[in-house]
Amino acid sequence: MAKILKPDEMLRSINYTPPATDWMETPNDLSPGRFAYPAKLDKVEYLMHEVPGVFGNPRTWNPSDADWQLPPNWKEIVVNGFRERLDKYRSLKLFMDICVRCGACADKCHFFIGGGDPKNMPVLRAELMRSIYRGEFTLAGKILGKLTGARVMEEDVLKEWFLYFYQCTECRRCSLYCPYGIDTAEVTMMARELLHLVGININWILEPVANCTRTGNHLGIQPHAFKDIVDFMLDDIETITGKRVKCPLNEKGHEILFITPSGDAFADPGIYTFMGYLILFDAIGLDFTMSTYASEGGNFGLFTNADMMKAINGKMYAEANRLGAKWILGGECGHMWRVVNQYMDTMNGAMQGPQMQTPVNPITGTVFKNAKQTKMVHIAEFTADLIKHGKLNFDKSRNSNIIATYHDSCNPARGMGMFEEPRYVLNSVVDQFHDMPENTIREQTFCCAGGSGLNTDEIMDIRMRGGLPRGNALRHVQEKHGVNTMACVCAIDRATLIPLADYWAPGVSICGLHELVGNALILDGEGERTTDLRQEPLPGMEEE
Amino acid sequence: MGLEQRIAERSGELAGKWADLILGTYPPQTQAVWKQNLERFSNPVGHAILTATAELIPLLLAWNDADAVAKALDQLVKIRAVQDFTPSQALSFVFLFKKLLRQEFTRELSDQGALQELLAFETRVDNLAVIAFDLYVAARDQVQRMRVEEVKRAHVNIVRRANLMHSDVAAQKAE
Repeated sequence: MAKILKPDEMLRSINYTPPATDWMETPNDLSPGRFAYPAKLDKVEYLMHEVPGVFGNPRTWNPSDADWQLPPNWKEIVVNGFRERLDKYRSLKLFMDICVRCGACADKCHFFIGGGDPKNMPVLRAELMRSIYRGEFTLAGKILGKLTGARVMEEDVLKEWFLYFYQCTECRRCSLYCPYGIDTAEVTMMARELLHLVGININWILEPVANCTRTGNHLGIQPHAFKDIVDFMLDDIETITGKRVKCPLNEKGHEILFITPSGDAFADPGIYTFMGYLILFDAIGLDFTMSTYASEGGNFGLFTNADMMKAINGKMYAEANRLGAKWILGGECGHMWRVVNQYMDTMNGAMQGPQMQTPVNPITGTVFKNAKQTKMVHIAEFTADLIKHGKLNFDKSRNSNIIATYHDSCNPARGMGMFEEPRYVLNSVVDQFHDMPENTIREQTFCCAGGSGLNTDEIMDIRMRGGLPRGNALRHVQEKHGVNTMACVCAIDRATLIPLADYWAPGVSICGLHELVGNALILDGEGERTTDLRQEPLPGMEEE
Repeated sequence: MGLEQRIAERSGELAGKWADLILGTYPPQTQAVWKQNLERFSNPVGHAILTATAELIPLLLAWNDADAVAKALDQLVKIRAVQDFTPSQALSFVFLFKKLLRQEFTRELSDQGALQELLAFETRVDNLAVIAFDLYVAARDQVQRMRVEEVKRAHVNIVRRANLMHSDVAAQKAE
């Protein structure tokens, strides 16, 4: 919903047909609700100190104000930054040059599909940047100007970038349909890098980045507090299963370092997934430790700048080396896996200590050759391997109240091609599973509309309209098959899909894959369970 | 032939025209894309507009089931409640049906001296707007409620720790 009109404005607005202006002439609407809050001054200052050359212009500012307090030479900074990146990344130059505006991507973005703003058509969103490329860097654009769709850098263009490159979740659904393979997410990444140089940013990204840099997790929790929080979950597991399981923290000499998004430790319902991991590790007697310094798998640095992403990602190998781990097991996370699968080896591969080895499942002996480069295995692969070898005993009846569907989180799905493993695990722990329609899952999956640092509540309207395609498909399986639970393998999904489902498919609850694993898994020496991990009665135990 | 009968005979055509008027509230580039594709999963807004208009006309004619009317309105109202519209723009789609009725029937009914039939029927459209208003406000309330609940969920274990550890100075520093 936009702002409420005054009576005289309403009289003028009685014509509901929008003006047919050309996109370059459509003014920016920066009313509240159309943007996420900008970053706090101290976060920017801290990050400028930690990773020089990436962020700039720390100040207190409001995007609704006409004056954004840009540095006097902002244009020079942005244009030079653009030139530098065109030289550095051949992909960016290609993406700027080769688009023929065929329109294959136009109706593939969830924000466009749900909202209808033409500037959210991926082709047009990228054109916001391409027009500047042509106007500032090509001879034809400089001479012919608008005839070639070129324009020069102005303050309004910068504001337009802020509005629309923060209405892209970098989910890459549009790229799937591009005949040239243009990765529009990378265009968004470049635009955001340029915006950061002149201090245009959002707090929901920069505060977690600052916290991860300083303490290792997105809320800035220090080691002793992290331990207390993990202890709560050990207490809860004991209450539910009658068994005290272990979660070593910062202990040296274990085979495996386990890293998961910190949302799993702090936020409902991620905590139940975290409990599921610990139950699984106990069931197989896994020799692992966690680190309180690499206590966040997610990497919000990905949403700022390549150097920032690299710095945060480096903590994983640094901690594996410090603790002497042979390989890293990674929990259910979205962009963590995008970074691991696409960038980690290139950025930080050289940091791997001599003790690190190609991961081998210590229970089944399976060698994860796919993880030879990064030494990191996804927990869905790991659990699927255990199930395939018959190493886990399940009581599926504990999940018999669940009719499940599976949301392919964009990054594990499109970013690393993981489609079958989570479905295999899910089918092993629930009786009833129904996929959503084909053009909304697997590589064509629809985003939760909260990825790339947009999972903040002040833009709930934007998230809800972007979430319509996913919600609409969910509603379909809810009505057709009675689906009441949507499982996913991403901490941001576990947070953002809850309001999405509440709004578009009320009655469907959201859970992580390993929450359902933890419910069904039978531990040696456990007592009779009467509740699930949420401490709600198990099916058949409602009266007790 | 009375107005209701005429509407009933042309209900499919009128639903299409109403849908076109609703699509006209979106930018021209968007209309072009949404009119081309009728598939419900890749074009949920276009599909919701066509479904709502097709379902609502028979319900307006029967006018005996408020719950069914609300159900037929719900998805489109929820969609427009979170799109980039003012409240008046969001609900304008109801009044576009009134506009259509006047366009299609005023002259004919006026010639026959039966304009009061149109005025009587328009009362139902006004009531449709009121039902839509209830749904709209419920949707907006829900959005605000979800914001609060999300913030609470995000910090559930932090709050749990803070409550248990009031005297722990270091803990407050950590949070």
